[in-house]
Amino acid sequence: MSEMSTLLYGLVLLAGAVGLAAGLTWFERRLLGIWQDRYGPNRLGPLGALQVLADMLKLLTKDDWVPPFADRVVFVFAPTAIVIAMLLGFAVVPMSPDMHLLDVNIGLLFFLGMTSLAVYSVLLGGLASNNKYALLGGLRSAAQMISYEVFMGLSLMGVVMLSGSFSLQAIVRAQEDMWFCVHQFLGLYVFLIAGIAESHRLPFDLPEAEHELTAGFHTEYGGMKFAMFMLGEYLGLILISCMMTTLFFGGWLGPGFLPPLVWFVLKTGLIILFFILLRAAIPRPRYDQLMSLGWKVMLPLTLVNLAATGAIALWMEG
Amino acid sequence: MRSTELLPFVVYFAAVILLVATMLGLSWLLGQRRANKATNMPFESGVISVGSSQIQLSVEFYLIAIFFVIFDLETVFIFAWAIAFFELGWAGYAAIMVFIVVLGVALIYEWRSGALDWGQKTRRGLEGAPPIEETP
Amino acid sequence: MLGAGMTDSAGTAEGAADARFGADRFVPQDCPDGTPTYWVEAGELRKVLRELKPDFPMLYDLFGIDERLREKRDGQPPADFSVVYHLLSLTPFGQLRIKVPVIEPAEVPSVVDIWPNANWYEREAWDMFGIRFSGHPNLRRILLPPTWEGHALRKEHPARATEMEPFSLDADRQDMEQDALLFRPEEWGMERATEDTEFMFLNLGPNHPSVHGVFRIALQLDGEVVIDAVPDIGYHHRGAEKMGERQTWHSYIPYTDRIDYLGGVMNNLAYLQTVETLAGISVPPRAQVIRIMLAELFRVSSHLVFYGTFAQDVGQMSPVFYMFADRERLFGIVEAITGGRMHPAWFRVGGVAQDLPEGWDTMVREFIDAMPARLDHYEKMAMQNSILQQRTVGIGRCTQAEAIDWGITGPNLRATGVDFDLRRDRPYGGYEQFEFEVPVFHNGDCYDRARVRIEEIRQSLGIIRQCLDNMPEGPFKSEHKLTTPPPRERMLEDIETLIHHFLNVSWGPVIPAGEACVPIEATKGINGYHLVSDGGTTSYRTRIRTPSFALLQQIPLLSRGLMIPDLIAIIASIDFVMADVDR
Repeated sequence: MSEMSTLLYGLVLLAGAVGLAAGLTWFERRLLGIWQDRYGPNRLGPLGALQVLADMLKLLTKDDWVPPFADRVVFVFAPTAIVIAMLLGFAVVPMSPDMHLLDVNIGLLFFLGMTSLAVYSVLLGGLASNNKYALLGGLRSAAQMISYEVFMGLSLMGVVMLSGSFSLQAIVRAQEDMWFCVHQFLGLYVFLIAGIAESHRLPFDLPEAEHELTAGFHTEYGGMKFAMFMLGEYLGLILISCMMTTLFFGGWLGPGFLPPLVWFVLKTGLIILFFILLRAAIPRPRYDQLMSLGWKVMLPLTLVNLAATGAIALWMEG
Repeated sequence: MRSTELLPFVVYFAAVILLVATMLGLSWLLGQRRANKATNMPFESGVISVGSSQIQLSVEFYLIAIFFVIFDLETVFIFAWAIAFFELGWAGYAAIMVFIVVLGVALIYEWRSGALDWGQKTRRGLEGAPPIEETP
Repeated sequence: MLGAGMTDSAGTAEGAADARFGADRFVPQDCPDGTPTYWVEAGELRKVLRELKPDFPMLYDLFGIDERLREKRDGQPPADFSVVYHLLSLTPFGQLRIKVPVIEPAEVPSVVDIWPNANWYEREAWDMFGIRFSGHPNLRRILLPPTWEGHALRKEHPARATEMEPFSLDADRQDMEQDALLFRPEEWGMERATEDTEFMFLNLGPNHPSVHGVFRIALQLDGEVVIDAVPDIGYHHRGAEKMGERQTWHSYIPYTDRIDYLGGVMNNLAYLQTVETLAGISVPPRAQVIRIMLAELFRVSSHLVFYGTFAQDVGQMSPVFYMFADRERLFGIVEAITGGRMHPAWFRVGGVAQDLPEGWDTMVREFIDAMPARLDHYEKMAMQNSILQQRTVGIGRCTQAEAIDWGITGPNLRATGVDFDLRRDRPYGGYEQFEFEVPVFHNGDCYDRARVRIEEIRQSLGIIRQCLDNMPEGPFKSEHKLTTPPPRERMLEDIETLIHHFLNVSWGPVIPAGEACVPIEATKGINGYHLVSDGGTTSYRTRIRTPSFALLQQIPLLSRGLMIPDLIAIIASIDFVMADVDR
């Protein structure tokens, strides 16, 4: 792609990601409505799709309030961090052979770095609020997200070993014979769990856990700053789905009767659907249970996966 | 990498910052202002808060932080090996396995010393209660 | 005499009590409900209760009565107030009432060390009547705010808003009330910090998604571990007992619907059982079966709400929508029969308001045919989910002894392994004609509390089916002269019946003097109305004993040492509604 078209692609990507995340709030509510025997938003526009616009207008005109008892600078910075980090994460996602903003040889590390940054957003939001529910939510998020950070990185190492690169385009091309979801099923499993934990959505929404901590880390947030946490959460959901497609389901690869971009979008869409289904179906484990699962199951699994992948790959290589 | 290749990303980055700034700015411009009696109190289910929310924390949280440091450092080494996996061959594999086994031992040690059981709480005053029957 | 064993009597717990309490030493009182009732001097109270506890292990209720304006208390010792201790034995079932006469300034020894659940009941009696309980660990108001003046159930305390200054909440008053709400750990004997830990004090509620209404628990936390908890109730207090003293026997019925607001007509049943016992009315068979059918429909409805919110509170998002949809279908039936949905107020003194409408049987049959398959589906979706099991199995355990000590009744008692259900063990209102099982589980944890209720839904469906198949013919109202409103056909016979009808409807029936309580197995446990009539058109004292009150008092015991999410699971599993607690 020429520089100009890449530049254009970047702006389209930005609008697309934000628009999709906003649209996803409506889509998810409709979908949950279907699964839960009810309507969901259906008043505004066709199938209620304009609900997104109404929500946005409402959030824009809400009190732009910074609590006087909070750490004000951090309080405002926290929600912006998650949005920025998640949006930057999209820069390395290859959507077709030549559609990517940045094809660097550390693409995967860049993605991991951005998700790590998002952790700070939730943690700082919780701690800066100077509210007890927010504090508990912040503590939970710190413990949960830094734990799953470890497994998320490790679960991807099998993929890196087999493709020999951190470049996401290279990883996609390495799956031409067979998608990594086949021989890296353990990695996929750990990445899936860690992905939900990192995007802190139900069933692993412990930092928020409305039944326990009212609204957890964003108890004191309202209006646009609250909306940015939500935007970040949905962006995270999309980003994790994109990465899962790229790393385990062959990215844009697919039979030639459809263009690569369509394949990519289809696969990602299905994974998003799966995440929403998980949210509808599964209860929330207790915080210590989630941590035990991480350290006692996920970590050993990733280590076993590494050892087995290494041994088998070397043996087949001769 | 040539610097021009980075240009689209820099523009993208600027656009992201602009977007976030616009969102905050617009809501600051359009947002209503309100000053009720309880507006500037922290939310605690509708009752005035007792004691501070800035308290000393339970040691469990520091443990997790330490684990994170240990195992995240480990991943850095594994990253380096994974990228050069085929070049390093069996020798590299053996070396990293020693490394992983050592960490595995550390994990087992933590596990056995109870450092991973931070939530196994039981209700006080249940001594002498019959054991729990299995659910079918 | 007091030491006599149980064996020498008729084998019932009541018989044993009779043997111990000769009329020579303790003044007996005849009550129309047949419950042995004795007056005991305050000085002997603790000794008597201590000796009775082995045979009557449960303190079912404790409350005060203002005796100063009561007429027709022939043969009862002189008293300004009386304190009533209602005791239960479960196997075999028996009841016993001990009453203590109190002269102002009222003071009675506390029995908190004998029954831990006396704590809240004594606080309530202090709050409502100003009766002091010497030796109580923390005698403070419980239902009314600490800023309240006077004791609301005393006869001199106004009952209507028009008798008081108009209420206003200005800024100063609001500050004062907020300040009164502040939790002061020292008042509850709590440390703010130990040498190596600093505790966090967290208000969970009244504005919180999981406290099922306006309920507040002040938590003492170490990290997320609950060190201690202090439940704070009264936010939903509407003075239902006081209102009973101003409403006619008939016009009080709609108030009862709103006590356990998920139980609908089940509340009417508890109230009317007692009124009819006082009046000596026997309800015709058709009315009995209609009542049972509706009461069981409401049990199903209440348990469905429990089921859904239980799953919801451990973080499962979807089940509650399915259960509420079922409940909606059920309300369709209730609406077709009674015209109301949540609060039909449809039972009447001596029967029910109308006969069943045409086609009721089709609706009921469709519902009970469809439900079992749906319950199977929910079982797979919620109860067999391993995360839900991890969250609830072994959490919030309560032993049998604790349950009985704390006055726990209903499904929560059966979850601990106590095989006791009033419908079977002391059938009322026609339940003796029905066949059903009493589900019992043994762990006493959150999971078993849910399982008991789910099995009870199935049993209730069975009872409803029996009602459907065997609905008797005949009148839906008693022919008794106190039946209110009297059957309309008889109204226009002559001037005498017309006057009678007019008086019964405008002033309400005059219920003979007496005192009774006929408890029933309501949705959440044993619910009973202790009614005192001194021969007027209103009740002299209406005491509502609700199961939820006892359940909430036990929360600190169940949650100490567990974590906040466990506390939420416990709150979800014990199934209460705040209107049922605060009345």
